[in-house]
Amino acid sequence: MKLNRRGFIKVCGMMAGYAVLGANLTREAVAATMDFVGLRQKSVYDADAHIYKVRKSQDNPMVKKLYDHKEGFLHDGPCGHMSHHLLHTHYVDRSARVKVLKEKGYKFNL
Amino acid sequence: MKQIEGVMAQTNAPKGVDPDNLFFVQVDPTKCEACGTCEEHCATGAIQAINEEGIHQVVDPAACMNCGQCLVNCPYDAIYEGVSYVDEIFEKLKDPNTIVVSMPAPAVRYGLGECFGKATGTYVGGQMHAALRQLGFNYIWDNEFAADVTIMEEGTELIQRVKEQGQKDARPLPQFTSCCPGWIKFAETFYPDLLPNLSSCKSPIGMLGPLAKTYGAEETHTPAQKIYTVSIMPCIAKKYEGMRPEMADSGFRDIDATIDTRELAYMIKTAGIDFNSLPSQGPDPILGDSTGAATIFGNSGGVMEAALRLAYEVLSGEKLNNPDIKVVRTHEGINTADVKVPHFGTVKVAVASGLKNAAKLCDEVRAGKSPYHFIEIMTCPGGCVNGGGQPVDPDIRASLFRSTVAQINKRFRARRVGA
Repeated sequence: MKLNRRGFIKVCGMMAGYAVLGANLTREAVAATMDFVGLRQKSVYDADAHIYKVRKSQDNPMVKKLYDHKEGFLHDGPCGHMSHHLLHTHYVDRSARVKVLKEKGYKFNL
Repeated sequence: MKQIEGVMAQTNAPKGVDPDNLFFVQVDPTKCEACGTCEEHCATGAIQAINEEGIHQVVDPAACMNCGQCLVNCPYDAIYEGVSYVDEIFEKLKDPNTIVVSMPAPAVRYGLGECFGKATGTYVGGQMHAALRQLGFNYIWDNEFAADVTIMEEGTELIQRVKEQGQKDARPLPQFTSCCPGWIKFAETFYPDLLPNLSSCKSPIGMLGPLAKTYGAEETHTPAQKIYTVSIMPCIAKKYEGMRPEMADSGFRDIDATIDTRELAYMIKTAGIDFNSLPSQGPDPILGDSTGAATIFGNSGGVMEAALRLAYEVLSGEKLNNPDIKVVRTHEGINTADVKVPHFGTVKVAVASGLKNAAKLCDEVRAGKSPYHFIEIMTCPGGCVNGGGQPVDPDIRASLFRSTVAQINKRFRARRVGA
């Protein structure tokens, strides 16, 4: 592995960091990030179970009103004509620009 | 540039430009310490060292999925946001001729409290609605309602796809979810051959924008041309999604502005609102009420669980007594499950958290070896609650280890300059 000056400084810094703090604390710092996410996730599931009175989309009274067969705004139902106009979309192949960049010598992970 | 909850942002509010040419995140080279943390968190490799010194940059918008994982994980606050609408929204809120509509995403209410000193993950949905009302939004509509609509559309599409297998012109399985804008751009850029597998449903915010300017305008007797829709997201990639040219099905721009959780906190603070003393309030009717199935969209595995709560009842014809489908809940990596549905059979599902894991499932589909019916993908590890627009984990900035490394690096550099 070729190590330039900047890389060398970085490795020295990392090693000094490990030396000062020890490997255990470092591992904790990395794990703490996902714990943080875990706390937010737990809160979401708690709210689902305890705060929201209705727990299934199809039981939402306002959703039923929207899709009502007679008077609903989307009376032809999910994936109906109006839905397709307002709520569905199409996708575009965007691979060309990255292909050009790769030909220019840029390296990406995929 | 403005400092917004510890992150710099350009408050430029671009209009009518091609979002493919915008940098939604970029590195400030004067703050970059060349630690490479951003590169570790980038699935595509769009952010990379541009010189011998190891200073990083997003090299081209085409390779960047705008997820902002580099930004929230940078220990030196060196990455800024390239697009922000906060100034324009303040102006619209003052304008008596504009009807400003708020559309907050599920995950916002699990992050916003952290900006006001609350414990990580505290649910502040009620206070958030009250704060939006005090800010002067004319309608407090909620993207969680649109999440419920998304389940109706995407669940129905899945059932249709399963039933039409074997027929001529059948749409392929597995069906991929389409709620996450980082994942959508990723599929369009790196797996364009899999686009027929993507659900044709817009994301919840992509649905709420046009619903607000058609159904919402009709129900509230508001002229649609006066409505200015503000999408409030835990996400930076949603700013890109809102600017997509095809998002104009209401006859107007469906989404006029997009801000993230940090920017909403900034607006509440700038307006001098005492967030912590606000009473809990509900959203406005018509496009406001939501369910538990909608709120779990914020977590990785949530869209899957919400869709299964519908698919189970439709396919089996029976009531689902316990709506908890815990097997699909995902914290990290790839999660797969077989869900047994009476009178139907087994629904095979997979959930990928993070684009590096998504790529594994995509390669499997491309090789024709994927056994699944339905695959959920979230760009940010853990889901939207860990989005690029959420409050930054104070541990990342204050990490004893990282700050020690920074100090040592600085000392090395200072010595080199002197030498």
